Amino acid sequence: MSTGWLIGSTISAVIVAPFLGGLLVGVDRKFTAHMQGRIGPPIIQPFYDIIKLFGKKSMVAGNAQLVFAYIYLALIIAAVVLFGLQQDLLMLLFILSFGTLCLALGALSVKSPYSQLGGNRQLLQFLAYEPILLLAVIPIALKTGSFPVAGIYKYGQALLPNLWLTFIALLIVLAIVMRKSPFDISGSVHAHQEIVSGVVTEYSGPYLAIIELGHWYEVILLLAVLALFWVGGGLWWISIIIALASWFILLIVDNISARLTWSWMVKFAWGIGISLVALNILFVKLGWM
Amino acid sequence: MIDVLVGLLILFPIVTGFFCFTIKNYKVRASIIILTAIVLIISSLLLLSQGSFPIKYSPAPIWDWVIMFSEYALLAFLLFAGIRDIVRRGKFLHNILAVILTLGVAVPLAIFEFFQAHQIPLKVPSALFFDHLSVIMCLIISIIGSLICLYAIRYMKDHEEHLMHLGQLKATKQPKFFFFMLIFLGAMNGLVFANNLLWLGFFWTLTTMCCWGLIRHDETDIAITNAFRALWMCLIGSVSFAVVIILAWHSSLNSILLNDLIRSGAAAHSVLLIPFALLCLIGFTKAAQVPFQSWLVGAMVAPTPVSALLHSSTMVAAGVYLLLRIAPGFQGTTISTFVAVYGGMVFLVTALLAIAQSEGKKVLAYSTVGNLGLIILCAGINTPISIAVGIMLLFFHAISKCLLFLCAGTIEHYVWSRNIEDMEGIARNFPVLGGITIIGGLSMLVAPFGVLICKWGAMETATQTGVWSTLVLIMLMIGSGATTFFWAKWIGRLLCHSPVPGGAKREPFIPLYHGILLILIGFAVIFSILIVPVYNGIVAPSLTEAGYAAAFTTNYWFLKSSLGIFITWPVFVVIALAWVLASLTARAKPETSRSAYMSGENVEIGTDEFVGLGDERTQLKTGGFYAESILGEKKLLRFIVPIGIVFLIILFVLVMI
Repeated sequence: MSTGWLIGSTISAVIVAPFLGGLLVGVDRKFTAHMQGRIGPPIIQPFYDIIKLFGKKSMVAGNAQLVFAYIYLALIIAAVVLFGLQQDLLMLLFILSFGTLCLALGALSVKSPYSQLGGNRQLLQFLAYEPILLLAVIPIALKTGSFPVAGIYKYGQALLPNLWLTFIALLIVLAIVMRKSPFDISGSVHAHQEIVSGVVTEYSGPYLAIIELGHWYEVILLLAVLALFWVGGGLWWISIIIALASWFILLIVDNISARLTWSWMVKFAWGIGISLVALNILFVKLGWM
Repeated sequence: MIDVLVGLLILFPIVTGFFCFTIKNYKVRASIIILTAIVLIISSLLLLSQGSFPIKYSPAPIWDWVIMFSEYALLAFLLFAGIRDIVRRGKFLHNILAVILTLGVAVPLAIFEFFQAHQIPLKVPSALFFDHLSVIMCLIISIIGSLICLYAIRYMKDHEEHLMHLGQLKATKQPKFFFFMLIFLGAMNGLVFANNLLWLGFFWTLTTMCCWGLIRHDETDIAITNAFRALWMCLIGSVSFAVVIILAWHSSLNSILLNDLIRSGAAAHSVLLIPFALLCLIGFTKAAQVPFQSWLVGAMVAPTPVSALLHSSTMVAAGVYLLLRIAPGFQGTTISTFVAVYGGMVFLVTALLAIAQSEGKKVLAYSTVGNLGLIILCAGINTPISIAVGIMLLFFHAISKCLLFLCAGTIEHYVWSRNIEDMEGIARNFPVLGGITIIGGLSMLVAPFGVLICKWGAMETATQTGVWSTLVLIMLMIGSGATTFFWAKWIGRLLCHSPVPGGAKREPFIPLYHGILLILIGFAVIFSILIVPVYNGIVAPSLTEAGYAAAFTTNYWFLKSSLGIFITWPVFVVIALAWVLASLTARAKPETSRSAYMSGENVEIGTDEFVGLGDERTQLKTGGFYAESILGEKKLLRFIVPIGIVFLIILFVLVMI
């Protein structure tokens, strides 16, 4: 692929990703409403929401939280750019995790009971999924021989048949990042009165919109990572179906399961998630997969 | 030129240290310290500019006499100190072990030097050796070490004034303090350049003695106990040196030069397996790896400049420096695999232990042990990339961790507490100090700061090694997640403050505190941005000198290996842009400030009070998360110390069979 093509597709990815992200949230709300016997908002309601948020007067609870909100969005876009340019996957995840950390630090910078609770729980979520996310890169690199995303395109085979254990572990990561039940620990779109809005409690107006935008990018980026499990195998639309199917499975799980405690989340993520990836690495190293 | 530089780097601080011991006047002593700092910084830079490394250097024969005489004088002093303590405070495990192990160094060494060696003292050519790796250590010692000594001038004054105010101190003990600090700098420079194992062993013990003297500085009961614990654990290293010397001399090599051992290599000479395992053990004790971590954690009772100098950036780093230096020697043996797994284990368990600590300096201590474990892991993986990132971590860790210790020390002198919970809102009340501490903390855990290149490199290169690396990778990733967790929650405490309208407060600028912190944070940021020149300038040559292939190709943007790409300054640009954008477009003004949400029960805007039970004004209290019931020291150390001991037994079983 030529450099021009790469840069072009990167720019379009940065532009298109929030629209896709918003759309997915809209479908999510509609679907959830139907499951609960409600009609639900229109599918493009998230865009109405975010436009309205941007138009609101800014009310702030300290400069630090604003700086962290901006850095959060900037780093996640930087990670999307690196993905578009087919750069090193591990480096990309390091930048993404710095972004996620900024969300928690922004919440922790305000002395507010709900924001503090949300911030600490965001860190716990991070503790639960970060090792899986980083480890998941290893079997991919073992198969393709290097860490850049470009290597996966060049690999010429689909990764999923050999790395389905890693794929399942990444679904756990996605559920935690999307704060879907049973992992809606640090904040949730559903009403949980003991944390209010958790990690975003103290954000309002345009700054809440920035965080929301960042979150859309983040979810799309992780779905794109899931799509990587097929890109080498030809038939590009299968990659998209895999990503969307993963997302849909999470919606169903979200609607049929209750929220659980943070300690259960860490135990589950480390116990099941890490074991799955570890077994996958071991099998690849031994040549069984 | 080189002999002048050797004199200035090793002897000069030792001489000025003795001067400090005799001078009671504060200003004269401060001038001597400043002079020593300037001399050390300039000499180390001049040494770097020498260019044509490696250089072998044979000092005049008289110095062999001096070293031999000093060695036994030093051991006699330690023996005296141990026995004096037994007489004064009674028998304890730690002072008895210190006495036994001092004899354990002296007796075999005396048998070797006076009966087995063919001349007294044993003279070997090129007792000192200079290459890029030792120069990197010399730069860390001479520049960062000197900055810490400058900081200590002010710190010790405040520290003693506080103790006198409390009535715990009558006369100043600063002459003794700076005596140990300065001769420590000379001893460390001697240690990194020593090639003759007798010299290396002497400087090694000399740093141990300084460590003992500085930990017990406040002379409380706990300080003296912890000092003896540190002493005996580090003396295990000195005993091992004596054994290595005897084994190496009687082996087919018939040499006591470290370079000869490394060049021969344990893979080709299986007789060297035990000496190499012992050298690893020496490194582990000095770097306070599990099960020896307790001496470093105990050493936190010392004044903070001591922790910054000895227990984070230089002396404990000597342990991993030794591992990185001898790594080519054990390449391709089971020792290498063992070292990688062991380093990963230490990194993981210390990261978990650090989560439950609420005392700032203890978190820093466990984090130090963990990062040194990470460097040891790199030495064990033993590929060009892992050695390169190991050396870079040594460099970046020294800067960031020294900075964080000095920040913790300064905060301690503002709030008179070491507890993280008492640091709530430092970022608001002392914006410069708080800001530096937060950026310093972030430099330990986020890309693209230099410390992260090590995690990145270790993870990527571990995929190239055998099946055992699966275990290493899992420990590395979980440890890495836990590390981020405990730093982030600490930074969160520093940031936490009520949304109060009005501008940030101003703090008085103290040159010897803020000035030095600003220099160090400048180092951490600038060298991370300039990571490509850092690699090309000092790391790549050290790889070549150690016999490794080049690890990275570089251009203006990134470091590139056969496996991946580490992007450097563009990420800083993104962060800077976001920051500037935030400052330009958004700012908390009094009219837009709002109180935190408290379910509508706030008393009024600008306070952190809410209407509680019986309509009483109740202050909001927030706190950090520590999970002490799961990860507390009491709970975990029961398992971790035996695991560490089992690991060491496995090492020696592996090399014996």
